[in-house]
Amino acid sequence: MAAQNGAKNVVIVLATGSYEREAPTTVLRLAEKLLQRGVNVNVWAFEEAVTLTNKDQIDHSEPGALQGVLGEKHSHVSKYIDMLLRAGLHGAKLDWVSCILCVQERGVEKHQMNSVTIGTLGDLWKFVRAADRVITIPSYR
Amino acid sequence: MSRYLIVTSRDLYEYASSSYVLELAGSLKNRGHEVTLYLVENGVLAARPGAQLAARLSDLSRSGVTVLAEDVSAKARGIEQLADGVRLSNMDELADLIVDGCDKVIWY
Repeated sequence: MAAQNGAKNVVIVLATGSYEREAPTTVLRLAEKLLQRGVNVNVWAFEEAVTLTNKDQIDHSEPGALQGVLGEKHSHVSKYIDMLLRAGLHGAKLDWVSCILCVQERGVEKHQMNSVTIGTLGDLWKFVRAADRVITIPSYR
Repeated sequence: MSRYLIVTSRDLYEYASSSYVLELAGSLKNRGHEVTLYLVENGVLAARPGAQLAARLSDLSRSGVTVLAEDVSAKARGIEQLADGVRLSNMDELADLIVDGCDKVIWY
């Protein structure tokens, strides 16, 4: 459980999508650990990160080579996100919001997983305002 | 005084701005803050013994910055030993640092 004086709400802002970089997997691994500690996690996904929650994507892990290190624990991206969202039903909560403009631009608005919310910058602002920690994962080239 | 957690996921050789991140870590420490520099993903590459930037990481460690390298990232990159002053860590420790080991997280 979260320490008495420790963070209880963490926001992760993510712009990295599939097939780009290791960041999505690091975020999911970190989110899992935070949820295990009773910390609520809010993910605000924008730009390419909105493709991570495409329910019609082909199963893949990011990067595939990490399966050699993590083994069976290295779930495919969509399954991993689904698992974390379901874990929130009975413990610390994960809310995953995909930016509405970004899903529309990328044609994935109607392909988002059921537990994902399509939201706006207003949601990001509310997440940040309520957060104890804000982690912004840089999108770099 | 505050506690800073600087997470470095980029290869420090690849980006010119990485020098500023390392300078930031040292400067914050010099000003009396508690600083942890956490290397993950390609950030662990600089911690390979003999790497040019490894000496910089060792200097930071000697100055009091806690320098950590994530185990999965290191193993995936074939890094079995770490530069002096760099300690092997894991995702559990990173989560603990975020929850109650820092006041501010900077993710590079």
